Amino acid sequence: MGQTPSNDNPELEPTGKPWSQRAQDIAAVAWPSFLTGSVATMLFFAFIDPLVLQDATFPSWDLSRMTGYALGFFFFWGIAAVSSALSIFLTRSGTPLTRD
Amino acid sequence: MKTDAAPQGATSYYEAHQKIYPREIKGRFQRLRTLAVFVLLGLYYVLPWVKWGDRQALLFDLPARKFHIFNLTFWPQDFYLMAGLLIIAAVSLFFVTALAGRLWCGYACPQTVWTEVFLWMEHWTEGDRRQRMKLDKAPWGREKILRKTSKQFLWITFSIWTGFTFVGFFTPVTELGARLMTLELGPWETFWIIFYSFATYGNAGYLREQVCKYMCPYARFQSAMFDQDTLVISYDTQRGETRGSRKRGTDHKAKGLGDCIDCTLCVQVCPTGIDIRDGLQIDCIACAACIDACDQVMDKVGYPRGLVRYTTENALENKRTKVLRPRVLIYAGLLLALLVGFGYAISNRTPLLLDIIRDRNALYRMTNQGLIENVYTLKVMNMDTRAHRYSLEVSGLAGIHLDLDDKEILVESGEVATLAARVRVPENGMNESGATITLTLQALDQADLKIVEPARFIGPAPSR
Repeated sequence: MGQTPSNDNPELEPTGKPWSQRAQDIAAVAWPSFLTGSVATMLFFAFIDPLVLQDATFPSWDLSRMTGYALGFFFFWGIAAVSSALSIFLTRSGTPLTRD
Repeated sequence: MKTDAAPQGATSYYEAHQKIYPREIKGRFQRLRTLAVFVLLGLYYVLPWVKWGDRQALLFDLPARKFHIFNLTFWPQDFYLMAGLLIIAAVSLFFVTALAGRLWCGYACPQTVWTEVFLWMEHWTEGDRRQRMKLDKAPWGREKILRKTSKQFLWITFSIWTGFTFVGFFTPVTELGARLMTLELGPWETFWIIFYSFATYGNAGYLREQVCKYMCPYARFQSAMFDQDTLVISYDTQRGETRGSRKRGTDHKAKGLGDCIDCTLCVQVCPTGIDIRDGLQIDCIACAACIDACDQVMDKVGYPRGLVRYTTENALENKRTKVLRPRVLIYAGLLLALLVGFGYAISNRTPLLLDIIRDRNALYRMTNQGLIENVYTLKVMNMDTRAHRYSLEVSGLAGIHLDLDDKEILVESGEVATLAARVRVPENGMNESGATITLTLQALDQADLKIVEPARFIGPAPSR
């Protein structure tokens, strides 16, 4: 914020200014990965019952189906977020094809 | 990390976002949006409470892994139907976008709908646009604290109700309400209520148009569905320019002025803070608030309405607008085909499933009577809404015979029965060591409820 320009016409003053690059990056990582993570969760658990999966992995743990779904969702969201973040990092840190 | 951001300075990317104060507006399109808010949010908040028989009409019962939608019950095995539904939704969106632009964004998107309600609450507590701007600039005092607190109270209450309703789609809502009252919510119920409440509060209260600008993928790729004949909201530059203020009753045309009096109302009402007069912009969510604003002004100054209006790029260039064009027809054809396919799949869905698992220990066994015996484990899943009795028959080999513990298989609604089936064939009934047999599961009380599944029958290698 800080240097809010004082305008004579208060009716026109507040128009949207773009987010910072960092904020846009965070949004571009968090939201698409949320969407793809949701789809992946749906697809995965449509075919795999979390209880069956648990029997095959950590049978000694006491997890409910809801816990399974939630863990699955955050797992997929996280994986997708890592991928998005790496993509942003690569496209931003590489040598640009053209410079103008 | 090296960044290719614009140089810091006048148009730096590092400028912070500034709050947009959309001005309230009345008009035809605003009435349409208000109607959409009531219909859509009405459905959202009321549907979980609707009963169908003795259960919730709409319940996505994740703990039990089945979805209830009115009289239908869907199982994980029906997933292809849900995938089909999602594809239909996507194609519908493409179709509507090609035809009429961003109707979805302006009237139906949850982001728009909930933001609208949050803006109403902001209006009730903090006043109109001018008052809100003044209040934000004013130092903290009694009135500011009071107004801001009441806004937060409304926002937070509404958000929690929204989160609660969301979880009510996945867990029976009356029981959920009872548990909420006695503070006995499960950990995941609590978590998801808070998660969804917080998302609503943040998205509709603070992020608002920034979700469309920075986060929404559809906002970015919708222009791919656009062409010159797509309905857009546009300012009529030919008619409006040169813009400028004027005294009432002056002959503006003689002074070289267009119809735009430069009152900036179209900018003030814009929820995304753009100036529609700058041309078609990706930030425009096509909410038509600027049309309502401009029409009012045109009425007041006695000019014809429609300086800002729903139109097409072709119409603005005085060319003919074609409604029926290849892309619209292709989307429509695709949508129709999908809908027909989906309807067929739903109406021909057999709510019965038969899984056949061969005994893994022995390929076959010779009985005392000299018969070849194969043992299968059968899983019979009744996906219907009521219990059924089934009979099982086997065919495919000469002299084939089925031995079950019970002649009739009773399976309750939504249950899975597991049973052992011993199939026997006389030794001379087989020419090869393996053959495909057919199991037919038939409901005894409903002729069209049956399922036919193949299975592999193994015998000894034939002696030569």
